Amino acid sequence: MMRSAWLDPVREPTRRLSPQVLAPLAVLLVAFLALNVAIAVLIVSGRLDGHWYDFRDLGNAVQALREWLDDRTADQPGWLSDLLGDHWLSYIVTALIGAIGILSFVGVVLLVLIWVERRLIGRIQVRRGPNRVGPFGLLQPFADAIKLIQKETLIPRGADRFMFYLPPVLVFIPGLLVWAPVPWAPHMSYLDINVGVLYLIAISSLSTLAIFMAGWSSNNHYALLGAMRTVAMMISYEIPLSIALLSVVLFTGSMQLSEIVQWQADHNMWLGVLMPLALFTFFFSSTAELNRTPNDIAEAESEIVAGFHTEYSGMKFGLFYAVELGNAVAVAAFVGTFFLGGWSLFGLEEWVPPYLVFALKIAAGYFVLVWLRGTLPRFRLDQLMMFAWKYLIPISLLQVILVAFERSIFEHWDVPGVIPLALFTIVNAVFAVRIVRFWARFLGYRPERETLLAPTLTRSVGGLQAAQRMRTVR
Amino acid sequence: MIPEQFGRVGVLLMFALLFPAIPLIASYAFYRFRIRPEHHDPIKDATYECGVESEGSAWGQFHARYYLFALGFVIFDVEVVFLYPWAVVHGGLGFTALFEAVLFIGILALGLGYAWRRRALEWR
Repeated sequence: MMRSAWLDPVREPTRRLSPQVLAPLAVLLVAFLALNVAIAVLIVSGRLDGHWYDFRDLGNAVQALREWLDDRTADQPGWLSDLLGDHWLSYIVTALIGAIGILSFVGVVLLVLIWVERRLIGRIQVRRGPNRVGPFGLLQPFADAIKLIQKETLIPRGADRFMFYLPPVLVFIPGLLVWAPVPWAPHMSYLDINVGVLYLIAISSLSTLAIFMAGWSSNNHYALLGAMRTVAMMISYEIPLSIALLSVVLFTGSMQLSEIVQWQADHNMWLGVLMPLALFTFFFSSTAELNRTPNDIAEAESEIVAGFHTEYSGMKFGLFYAVELGNAVAVAAFVGTFFLGGWSLFGLEEWVPPYLVFALKIAAGYFVLVWLRGTLPRFRLDQLMMFAWKYLIPISLLQVILVAFERSIFEHWDVPGVIPLALFTIVNAVFAVRIVRFWARFLGYRPERETLLAPTLTRSVGGLQAAQRMRTVR
Repeated sequence: MIPEQFGRVGVLLMFALLFPAIPLIASYAFYRFRIRPEHHDPIKDATYECGVESEGSAWGQFHARYYLFALGFVIFDVEVVFLYPWAVVHGGLGFTALFEAVLFIGILALGLGYAWRRRALEWR
């Protein structure tokens, strides 16, 4: 026991809780459990179904508000009703409520996740992470914001001043607009359009423009190099990303995000299980679009200082940082929506509010992203471009053809849907493994000819063993 | 109606412009009320290049390889977008439509193969 406490600097010193603290905590726990039982009784008795206070779906409350407003403002002609239809007032009010909801969600999530990410990366790298400001360092994001806001605003002499100010603001537009079509619960979606997938692809590619503006206007060699790299990588990975989403659209037969989730809920099947190759392609391409490790060559700090935001300091840098985190959360949300069943969890969404199920999936996806960032090294630019064009695009095109065949069979085969779905799952998994191996060999990868390099440095220096030896000497 | 479908995007866009403006305005207000410093000097305002003085402007010519990939992107992304409408209706169509779509993807792959053969996909 002593040994692990010494070797593991991550572990915080444990404190015993005093009875004065424990007693209120126990009361709170009992109250929480009682509340849960009461809610379960309410759900079982069916008194919630479809009423506006059915908290399992906040869309119900909004719908009730909308009807209430419509009763009071029916048939009032004007230019607004020409533009937005008869129910323009309820339209605007619900739009404002939804926008404020999305904005507050993104804002709160950013504040929390800055802390979560730094703590998690600290744990992964065997250090403590921020733990000085507030309990467990929880107030660190506020401290960061206050520090950044007080910094001097530096603009290099050669920069294009107007263009230099725009990107931190512009980069927020795609960062916030991608949240619009996300289905949080069956009736809880801000913008439930029938071209949701296309909307996503169109909006998310806007951030390329802001990033290139930032790099170009700085008039700095590093910044321009970083921006060029970003643009090259983003446009390359946009193609595998759209092809991966194409197979999702193929199988569900809809570009509406709520219908894609509904399909997964109806068939009790996650598309990520059905087509693992599409899930991998989407996830990997998204990390490239996000400029996160393993694909963070755009701001490779050991090569080009900080890439496109080399010259940005103070609050303008803070905005870039915030958007980057927010986009990571958005990617987690879209992986959850497209591939992990969105708000559905095999019937559990009847009991737990679906938006909580969805939030859990977002958290899980975000954890994987942080995990990747903490463990993987950075790829080289040429490796990344090769990987997109010579590897991901051909194999995902093959995958699309396979999925199209399966969709036709699924439509014309008169058996219960479970049998073909189970069959396709196996076929797709086997296909994914085979094609990944085959295409790697096709590109010249020969694992049997590789000689394993022993980690000599780690072994000779000693790592954990050396630390152990030091302790015995002491 | 287009405004009815996409009007909400406009509302969200308004918020998306306001949200980042707040900290920037706050930062400026801090400067106005002399909470944060603002002392410029030539060294501080120089282009950052790890302490070495920057040679010339960055707005010069750039390597052509980026251009090749941009061309490839234009071709492939447009063709993938063409595939989306087919993907939506594919379930209701017969095997003929499937064959034609495979043909289209085949042409796409042919273009990729040509670019590969002409070494346009090499990063050099």
